This record gives sequence, structure tokens and C-alpha cells, in this order.
Amino acid sequence: MTDHRLDQILGTTGRDPGCDAGLDFIDEYCDIVARGDPVPRRFADFLTHLGNCRACREDTESLLAVVREQEDRTAR
Amino acid sequence: MDTLALDTESARWLRDLQGEGVARDDAIARLHAMLVRVARGEAARRRATLPARAADEVDDLCVQATNDALMAILSKLDTYRGAARFTTWACKFVILEASARLRRHTWRERKVELDDTIWDRLSDQAPPVLKRLEDDQLIAALHRAVDAHLTERQRLIFQSVTMDDVPIDVLAERLGSTRGAIYKTLHDARAKLRRALTDAGYAEQRND
Repeated sequence: MTDHRLDQILGTTGRDPGCDAGLDFIDEYCDIVARGDPVPRRFADFLTHLGNCRACREDTESLLAVVREQEDRTAR
Repeated sequence: MDTLALDTESARWLRDLQGEGVARDDAIARLHAMLVRVARGEAARRRATLPARAADEVDDLCVQATNDALMAILSKLDTYRGAARFTTWACKFVILEASARLRRHTWRERKVELDDTIWDRLSDQAPPVLKRLEDDQLIAALHRAVDAHLTERQRLIFQSVTMDDVPIDVLAERLGSTRGAIYKTLHDARAKLRRALTDAGYAEQRND
């Protein structure tokens, strides 16, 4: 295990499925988070990828914002 | 692939888009309107990073992203299995299309090249990620590992992404590759460096 200070540069050591596999989970993950449900353990690898990949992290944040806006619009 | 039980709204979208005639045309028009609104929202969220001029160009990018996303959605309707709501699944496509275009637009006048002076800059001009290490010996060990263990392509991708904050979509475009392939190269480079630094004695420091 390397020094934790290097995590931002080297990423974390958890299993990382990469962008293509990770993108398959983004929509389901955002719905779960928007509902306020607990995130199942099967998303662990996806979350590792989000920690390591800025582009996927940004895209997930953007989609989550869209889902929340749509819920707000529906609730009005 | 198993299809899960769909909520009422998702089932309606799917039924209308897989149907024929006016109902399908109307559903496509509603979907296009939703997607272009999402793409423009993404551009608005990224406004601070986009060039101030050329608002028309940014809107064109949003419309292009919408059109490509719509085509992808219609061609992949059979793969939608209901793990997420239909609108969330559909918006994923336009977010990915729009964000990649907007990142590339942001970087279109900036070079992407291997800059070895990055390691020798004075501390006030060093990349933030190196400043945060606050340890000259650790930075020197990282530099040695990069020089000793990475190929030139791995060095370019590793340094561009982690130190110059170049988005991987931009690297994919400039290097004629894909986002997934660029990330795989980055992942492999990071694994090599982690092994080298562990071998060099930079083991996890615990305070317990």
C-alpha cells in the first residue's frame, strides 16, 4: 500500500472497472441517490472508479443534478 | 437481458418510442425537447470554464450533442432494461455527449504535450497536486518512477491528466483514441508507479 498522500495522483487500490463499464451504472446510481436510498454494495467498484476518474465523477454529478431538477419539476 | 418491472412513465415512453405513427413522432419530439434542455443546462453549469465569447457555438454544440444522443437512444431502446427510470437512462446519453463536447471546446486552443519542466518548477508554479504532497523526497521518487517505468505515451497521459488537469475526452480526441482506452492507459501507468513507489519504501504511513 502506498502513502495515502499519493492517492490523488495514483488513484486508489480498489477494483476499478474503467469508464466504459462504469458508465453502465451511472443512471441507476443517480436514481438511487436521488431517492435517498442506501447505495447497494454492488456499486463498490463503480464508486472506486468515480474516485479515480474526474470525467466520470463530473458526468455523474451532472446527471444527478438533472434527476433532482426533474423531481423538483414533477413535485411542483 | 432481463427487463425489470417498469414504472408507469418509463413504460409509456418505451411504448410510444417503439410504436408507430403520430404517437412515436410526438414522443420523439418530447424526448428531443427534454434532451436539448438538459444539454443547455450542462453548458450553463460549465459556463465558468467555457470561453466567454461564442455563445452561439456553445449552443450549436448542445444541439449536436442532443441529436447524437437521440440517435443513440433510439438505436439502443432494446437494451433499456429498466434499472433506472427511462428519463434518467436517456439523459445519461446527452450528458455524456454534451460534457465531452464542452470539455473539448474549453481546451480547443490549448496544447496537450509532454512537459518535463513540470517537475522542476518552483513551488509557487508547481501543479497543485504536487504542492499538496509537501514532500520533496516523495516528489523526487515519483519523478524517478515516472522516468524509469512509464512509456512515453503513458507519461503523456499520466502527467496531462493528473498534473495539468487535461480531461480524458480531450486526450482521446487529440490522440485518436477513446475515453475508455485513455483511462485504461492511465490506470496501468498508475499501477506501475504504485508498485515502484512501494518497492522504493513509500509504504502507507499509519498513525495508529
